[in-house]
Amino acid sequence: MSESSLPLLEARDVSKTVRGPEGTLDILADVTLAVHAGESFAIVGASGSGKTTLLGLLAGLDTPTTGSVRLDGHALEAIDEEARADLRRQLVGFVFQSFHLLPALTAEENVMLPLELEGRDDARARAREALTAVGLDTRRRHYPAQLSGGEQQRVAIARAFVHGPRVLFADEPTGNLDQRTGRHVADLLFALNRDHRTTLVLVTHDATLAARCARGVELMEGRIAAPAAIT
Amino acid sequence: MKLLRLALRTLRREWHLPELRTLAASLLLAVVALGVVATLASRVEGGLVASAAELIGGDAGVSAPQALPQPYLDEARQRDLTVTRSAGFPSVAFAGERGQLLDVDATDAAWPLRGALELAAHGVTSAGHGPAPGTMYLDHRAMVALGLAVGDHVQLGGLDLAVAAELVSQPDGGQLVAMAPRALMNLADAQRAGLLGVGSRARHRLLVAGAPAAVRDWLAWAKAQALPQGAELITPAKTQQRMRNAFDRAGSFLRLTALLSALLAGVAIALAAQRYARRKTPEIALLRALGTARTRVFGLLLATLGALALPTLLLGVLVAWGLAEGAWQLAGAAFVHVPTALPLLPALGAAAMGLAVLAGFALPPLARLAEVPPVAVFRASMARRVRRVDVLYLVPALVAVALLWNQSGSAKLAIILAVSLSVVAVLAALLALLLLWFARRIAPGAHPALRLGLAALARRRTLSTVQATALSLGLVALLLLAVVAPALLEGWRRELPPDTPNWFVLNLQDDQRTDFTDRLEKLGAQQLNMLPLAVGKLTAINGTPVDQLHFADPGAARWADRQLRLSWTGTLPPSNKVVAGHWAGATPARAEVSVDTSWRDMFGLKIGDRMRFDVGEGSLEATVASVREVDWSSFRVNFFLLLDPAHAGSLPHTWLASFYLPHGHAQALAEVSRDYGNLSLVDVDALLDRVREIVDQVGGAVRWVLGFSLLAGALVLAAALATSAAERRHEAALLRTLGARRGQLRLAAACEFALLGLIAGLTAALGAFGAGWWLARGVFRLDDFVPPLGPLLGGALLAAVVIMLLGLAGTRKVTRTSPMRLLREG
Ligand SMILES: Nc1ncnc2c1ncn2[C@@H]1O[C@H](COP(=O)(O)OP(=O)(O)OP(=O)(O)O)[C@@H](O)[C@H]1O
Ligand SMILES: [Mg+2]
Repeated sequence: MSESSLPLLEARDVSKTVRGPEGTLDILADVTLAVHAGESFAIVGASGSGKTTLLGLLAGLDTPTTGSVRLDGHALEAIDEEARADLRRQLVGFVFQSFHLLPALTAEENVMLPLELEGRDDARARAREALTAVGLDTRRRHYPAQLSGGEQQRVAIARAFVHGPRVLFADEPTGNLDQRTGRHVADLLFALNRDHRTTLVLVTHDATLAARCARGVELMEGRIAAPAAIT
Repeated sequence: MKLLRLALRTLRREWHLPELRTLAASLLLAVVALGVVATLASRVEGGLVASAAELIGGDAGVSAPQALPQPYLDEARQRDLTVTRSAGFPSVAFAGERGQLLDVDATDAAWPLRGALELAAHGVTSAGHGPAPGTMYLDHRAMVALGLAVGDHVQLGGLDLAVAAELVSQPDGGQLVAMAPRALMNLADAQRAGLLGVGSRARHRLLVAGAPAAVRDWLAWAKAQALPQGAELITPAKTQQRMRNAFDRAGSFLRLTALLSALLAGVAIALAAQRYARRKTPEIALLRALGTARTRVFGLLLATLGALALPTLLLGVLVAWGLAEGAWQLAGAAFVHVPTALPLLPALGAAAMGLAVLAGFALPPLARLAEVPPVAVFRASMARRVRRVDVLYLVPALVAVALLWNQSGSAKLAIILAVSLSVVAVLAALLALLLLWFARRIAPGAHPALRLGLAALARRRTLSTVQATALSLGLVALLLLAVVAPALLEGWRRELPPDTPNWFVLNLQDDQRTDFTDRLEKLGAQQLNMLPLAVGKLTAINGTPVDQLHFADPGAARWADRQLRLSWTGTLPPSNKVVAGHWAGATPARAEVSVDTSWRDMFGLKIGDRMRFDVGEGSLEATVASVREVDWSSFRVNFFLLLDPAHAGSLPHTWLASFYLPHGHAQALAEVSRDYGNLSLVDVDALLDRVREIVDQVGGAVRWVLGFSLLAGALVLAAALATSAAERRHEAALLRTLGARRGQLRLAAACEFALLGLIAGLTAALGAFGAGWWLARGVFRLDDFVPPLGPLLGGALLAAVVIMLLGLAGTRKVTRTSPMRLLREG
């Protein structure tokens, strides 16, 4: 595929410094990377290396101390939180390690949330489609507590893509699941990436999972250690 | 010991948690509110006893138809009490060719032991004691009737006595208007003249005074004796009906307000404890998983709670003492004879009650917390799989009822409050559930903000229900305090409007009526009312002469022997209620009489019984046509016996006039009465002022308590909103991550809280209306009181708005939490 077009997601000299109880702490330093539309991109590294922090910056959940992050041409650090929220709503989907479903909503209602935020009328129908796509159409009315971990994560994935985002961010989406279930969930993510050309940015320590991505970076103490192997 | 140390350490670590602080603050408020009110009430009670003593002339005593046996005197002296003897009887006094029936009291030189005997001689007023042998004091009416002045002589019972002074006022048991002219003479003189011998109609009294404990002790001894035939104890509680009623109502008011604030605090405690339990669940699950026994967990929780409660209770007691003393210093001038020492016990009792509130409301969630199964470490949802209906939750309800019972001193007040509050709680819970059910139905089609708000409420169904219930309970209490209590007080005040008759005129003759009325109206007198007054005796019931009847009730025997006051009117007087038969009206076919309930009971009268009265030369047989319940605490002249005007009008009688005369006209009035000579004036302004003062003081105290309750209400509000804060924060972070705009979150929260506020506000307004209605009739005897619906609804709406604004203010923090939180949480 042609990569000459502008990258969908781009970080340039991104650093993050936080003030902790024992003085300031540089969590990220001089991270530069680019992810193109439709790519799958892995962020790997040891625990505490700054993966989650980087993901948060790329998704516009937080702003860098210095440097710049561009999502679909918008400089995230230059716009306010409301505008970032608008961008997230339109362009981004999330999958978390611990699912983060609302316990009082049914699977279907959880999936409807992003559509409801946009004020769409076809929320229920589309949520149903999304749940069917992850193989949970029979569990629509179940509450998260009535679902297994893998099933909850599939609901979370349905919620992440139901509104057709351009980028899907996943922070250790298989971290809480056994190997087989994990693989099934990963299959779903990569299928989305393949079938809908949804860009996938994946944080993981799982080498095999990282290896399924087209590209990636390895972080080490907040810096890019090496571009991950491209298979 | 180890457990205690662990508990203290836990407390120190967790003191920063808002739940624990709410718990402590609520407990503090409960103890302070209960303590201040109990302390003030106990002091007021002391003041009441003291002022009753002023009216009795001693702290307590016995009265009997014969001289009291020596042991009564000896026992009193043994207890270091001062003692006085006196006797009261009717007797005719003569001066020249004039004669007058007088109410005579014969006393020793020690009388009165309490209160003041006020005398006037040669234009000087002074306080005095019983008259010396050979002398006598006469009141103005007696002087006028006999045509005497100080220094003249008067014949009574064959004695020739010098009038040493004019009797201005005396301890008289709190009679509103003494009907006959009064006189005081020496007890030894009366004995010497044979006025007190067997067959006389004298009533002998022995009064004691001294240290309260000694008086109580003597009373207890006297009660244990078989009292002589026809004897009665004289106690402060029995005297002073009018004041007593005012004080009782005042007490009910104060207790009501204190109770409501304590219950408010209880609700806050329950909410805080529940939230604390939720927060502690993972920790307890871990402890249990690590092998800590359930009993030890519970012990630790109890010890922690105790370590929190003890200093709080202590502080509460100290603050209550301080505030009660402060309030007393500000308002104390009203009760001159009130004990100066601060009563310490009531505040300690309040601390005990605070502990009960804490235990009742906080223990259930903690006891359940100890039940958290160890497997909950793996699955948080396991912790919640505990029985839904839990008998433990009856505990707070029982504690609340017990508190109400114990504190209100009146089962009725307790029941009314308990029922109203339960109805409100159930109603609020039902309404909330209904709304949530409804929310699920309508949510899909609603405006997005409303949909999100409804969805949010529905999402936390249990919490929302708990919140709505707690908020409405809190609001009922607040509305009762802020709207209903002042309205009730106002209603009470209206019973004594500014133009309540403050003067009575006795002895007005038929031919003086129009002229006297004109003179009064020129002075600016208002509310003039005249009642005929005849003095006679009951001579027969159903044709049997009374001296042939045997009465089981000694009171009946005494009345049968006495001069009775009779009056007649065509319309039922205010503060009278017909409870049996029907009111005769102005012109019944035969002579009819209406009796008061106490007479019905004493004489065992039934409708249709015939009573014969002799009045002067005349006589009348009347049929009992109705029985009246009379409010003797009203400031009107009331009668046990009321005849119909058509048949009684011809009996010899004088008139009793009552009217309102603004302050400052007493001198002019005295001149008018001098022109008539035979009239006697009675001024009841002092009594009226006293009751108005009580109402005002209660109003002031209620305002004090209202301050506490507003604080407690704020705590309830904060605690109720805080119950969902954690969930709310997590939810908001998630929605922010999914791209929700701040405005969306805010609008959703506004809808959510406005709905919650509306449910709570409306049920509370309804509840306060019902409770107010019922309280007014059941406890405060204000039969035409209607709680002000407008202010109640206004208050409810205001509360809804405040809840919405507070909720919104709370979400400001929530909407500002970084969405990164979710990623950090894993
Ligand atoms: N707000 C903060 N204040 C202080 N330190 C922080 C903050 N956020 C992150 N850190 C620190 O920054 C470092 C990187 O954190 P981050 O969560 O990004 O690591 P990670 O690579 O995602 O680790 P893991 O694989 O364990 O999830 C850690 O050492 C963490 O303690
Ligand atoms: Mg991480």
